[in-house]
Amino acid sequence: MNITPDDPKWTAYVLGELNEAERAQVEQELESSALAREVVEEIRLATSMLKREFAKEQTVGLAAAQRGVIRAKAEPTHVRPIFRWAAVAGSVAAGLFVVASLSIPSLLRSRQAAVETTAALAPPVDGTRTTPSESDRDLKKQRTVFNRQKLEAEIQQAQSREQLLPQGQQGQQGQQGQQAAAPSANALEALQRQEGARFAMKSLAADERAPSGVFPTAPTALADRLDRRQLNTESYDYISDNPFIRVAQDPLATFSIDVDTASYANIRRFLTNNQTPPKDSVRIEEMINYFTYDYPSPTGRHPVAAYTEVASAPWQPDHRLVRIGIKAKEIDTAKRPPSNLVFLIDVSGSMATPEKLPMLKNAMKLMVDKLGEGDHVAIVTYAGASGVHLRSTSGDRKDVINAAIENLNSGGSTNGGAGIVLAYDTATSNFIRGGTNRVILATDGDFNVGVTNQGDLTRLIDEKAKSGVFLSVLGFGMGNYKDSTLEKLADKGNGNYAYIDTINEARKVLVEEMMGTLLTVAKDVKIQVEFNPAMVNAYRLIGYENRALRHEDFNDDRKDAGDMGAGQTVTALFEVVPRGVEIQTGSVDSLRYQQLEKSARRDASGEMLNVRIRYKQPDSDASQSVETPVVDRGTAYGNASVDFRFAAAVASFGMILRESPYKGQSTLDAVIDMAERSRGADRNGYRDEFIQLVRKARLLRGNQ
Amino acid sequence: MEDAKSTWIVAALDQYEGHLVRYAAWILGDLERAREVVQETFLRLCREQPARVGDHLAQWLFTVCRNLAFDVRKKENRMSPLKAETLPTTCDRPATSLEHEETMSHVLRVMETLPKNQREVLRLKFQCDLSYKEISEITKLSVTNVGFLIHTAIKTLRKEMLTESAKRRIQ
Repeated sequence: MNITPDDPKWTAYVLGELNEAERAQVEQELESSALAREVVEEIRLATSMLKREFAKEQTVGLAAAQRGVIRAKAEPTHVRPIFRWAAVAGSVAAGLFVVASLSIPSLLRSRQAAVETTAALAPPVDGTRTTPSESDRDLKKQRTVFNRQKLEAEIQQAQSREQLLPQGQQGQQGQQGQQAAAPSANALEALQRQEGARFAMKSLAADERAPSGVFPTAPTALADRLDRRQLNTESYDYISDNPFIRVAQDPLATFSIDVDTASYANIRRFLTNNQTPPKDSVRIEEMINYFTYDYPSPTGRHPVAAYTEVASAPWQPDHRLVRIGIKAKEIDTAKRPPSNLVFLIDVSGSMATPEKLPMLKNAMKLMVDKLGEGDHVAIVTYAGASGVHLRSTSGDRKDVINAAIENLNSGGSTNGGAGIVLAYDTATSNFIRGGTNRVILATDGDFNVGVTNQGDLTRLIDEKAKSGVFLSVLGFGMGNYKDSTLEKLADKGNGNYAYIDTINEARKVLVEEMMGTLLTVAKDVKIQVEFNPAMVNAYRLIGYENRALRHEDFNDDRKDAGDMGAGQTVTALFEVVPRGVEIQTGSVDSLRYQQLEKSARRDASGEMLNVRIRYKQPDSDASQSVETPVVDRGTAYGNASVDFRFAAAVASFGMILRESPYKGQSTLDAVIDMAERSRGADRNGYRDEFIQLVRKARLLRGNQ
Repeated sequence: MEDAKSTWIVAALDQYEGHLVRYAAWILGDLERAREVVQETFLRLCREQPARVGDHLAQWLFTVCRNLAFDVRKKENRMSPLKAETLPTTCDRPATSLEHEETMSHVLRVMETLPKNQREVLRLKFQCDLSYKEISEITKLSVTNVGFLIHTAIKTLRKEMLTESAKRRIQ
């Protein structure tokens, strides 16, 4: 077939401007021509770039006075606005009452809603009352920017408006007004608590952990921080860098492996948009694990093996850096067991933009290509209502599946809860014994109807995970993206989680990785590293802050941990302070009584540490373990393997972005230098892209 | 009856005010004049019969706004590109180096090199989210022509952006 890239129909197709017949024709051509697909993909990228560019222009509307003139003209009677005001003011207060009892994501959203509601209030048109000049305009500009003072001001305004109600209204509205006053205070308190929890923790020393359930009160810096961070609805949990821990105090580091890479894609999105990523959006372990490292496939009876390497830490040359790589057995994809996939797709209005649903549809089609007749695919959608969009269909009926994918349209609000239940039901009723059973949730994270309470949602997923159906979460889009919600869902659902920002990323995750993770070869994989006090003074796990397990959970098979798919690798880095070297950062006070005699016994072994992996076979509830002792041969950083050096460069970059107190001599220049010397084969260009990103960061913030 | 009309106008105001001001400001190169034009547009809408506008509200508003803006421009005979001060971009971004500002506006700079009719349809399509058909009614171009202009503009942008990123890579 002859493809003419100059034909305007390609653009018209991307923009949804073709009629049914034309669209079918174009789709046929897309099926058969790689060139056509490339053209369409390029147009998609350009259109989303254009939309972004235009969206950057600030919304400037009319001046308040001009709006007033129009409204006066539109509204012949001048009494009406007063009634309306009263009603709206009441609903603002009622809205706040609800706010007080909701969870973090809904709280953030509701706060915004409250501000917007007030922003929509009509300014007075009859001149009998005064409102702050231009207040509605200003508020509109602030839609994505919330700050607490503003809400307080709004509440006061709403209350003072009610006091201004004419007598006749007081009786009715006054009651509501009184109810409103107390809840408003509650709402503020709740806000303060939440914000205290999320931000005030920064004031704690890095090595202190806030006891759970105790929220420190917000310090005075809170308001300043809120202003500075210009909160939009993206939410990230606060992360505190893992501190150095003395071996004498605790020789064990225990954590769950994690194969998420979402943070890296998210960081890339910020940097590409010329923004420095928020510190708490940077998860170093996800950055390190975004890249592939060359570990041999395990050959023994265990489906997982650990590979280790030790050399000096480039940012702190008298410290040692230990890289622990875990590799899951590779399985020929031709021989992979059948899979039962249920896509749970958010088709709410917010998914309509090109980088969300349309991109997902393309990626799904690429994935459908790889399915065989033993595989089954179903599609469940959720918005205002949820429903089965495609019944479980065999992978060889690609036409049916592709048609169903194409028919996905966005519209309506989101009820994630009901959709999840329906998706799990679909998955369990088509359960393939010995196969892979997985729900793939694709969303921009806006669960705004139904089960929105994060706790309820995670409990639901936790419970559903026991059915043997795994959950993968794909996060889409920007601005509305609830990073921490999605990650928690994936964790609870025995699954993985990825942030999709480009069609390449979609392909990487859905086609390259998902087809890999489709087959879980080991589940609940936990790592415990034991340090030898004869060799090691202190150690620090880089990243994995929210992956820490209690030591006793390592042997507790009921404790959930991460899973590994065929061929997957997981890499963790430890920074180790050798015995005889003092800890520079001063984060741990020296212990007075804990001397090191007890360790002398193992001295002879010369081992630095021992890696113990505990895992379960996918169909088993009992765990097994593998041990790998590690000896430090005193290798210098420059003599370490390419992969080791590259991983160190990524960690160093992550610490700079996080402004970590442990970043030592890390500089962006040094990161670029290290990464350039450790590119390796870089078949997919991922490492090259990393170098570009670090350069971008250097442009944005100067070298440091 | 009166109530329904006022609700209709207020809803129109909420939905299109921002788009119209930006559109008019782009034509006129001046925010204050753009606001005046948009105010006049809505005042005319108040005088219009809702039934006559029907479901062509967007077309109606943009057409009236466009005609008024062109009238003003003709009268004043001033046409200068929009300056950064006139239409500030959302400044949630951290204040950073000059280079950053340069990359930021690169797409816009390339866009400025496009013919005016292409820029107009891009704006109507991607900023105001109007369909080819609506754009065609507003600009009095045929639907095919609108499609062609958008396609061509995107092609140019794609090419420019690719060359630019290649150049950057070499640097």
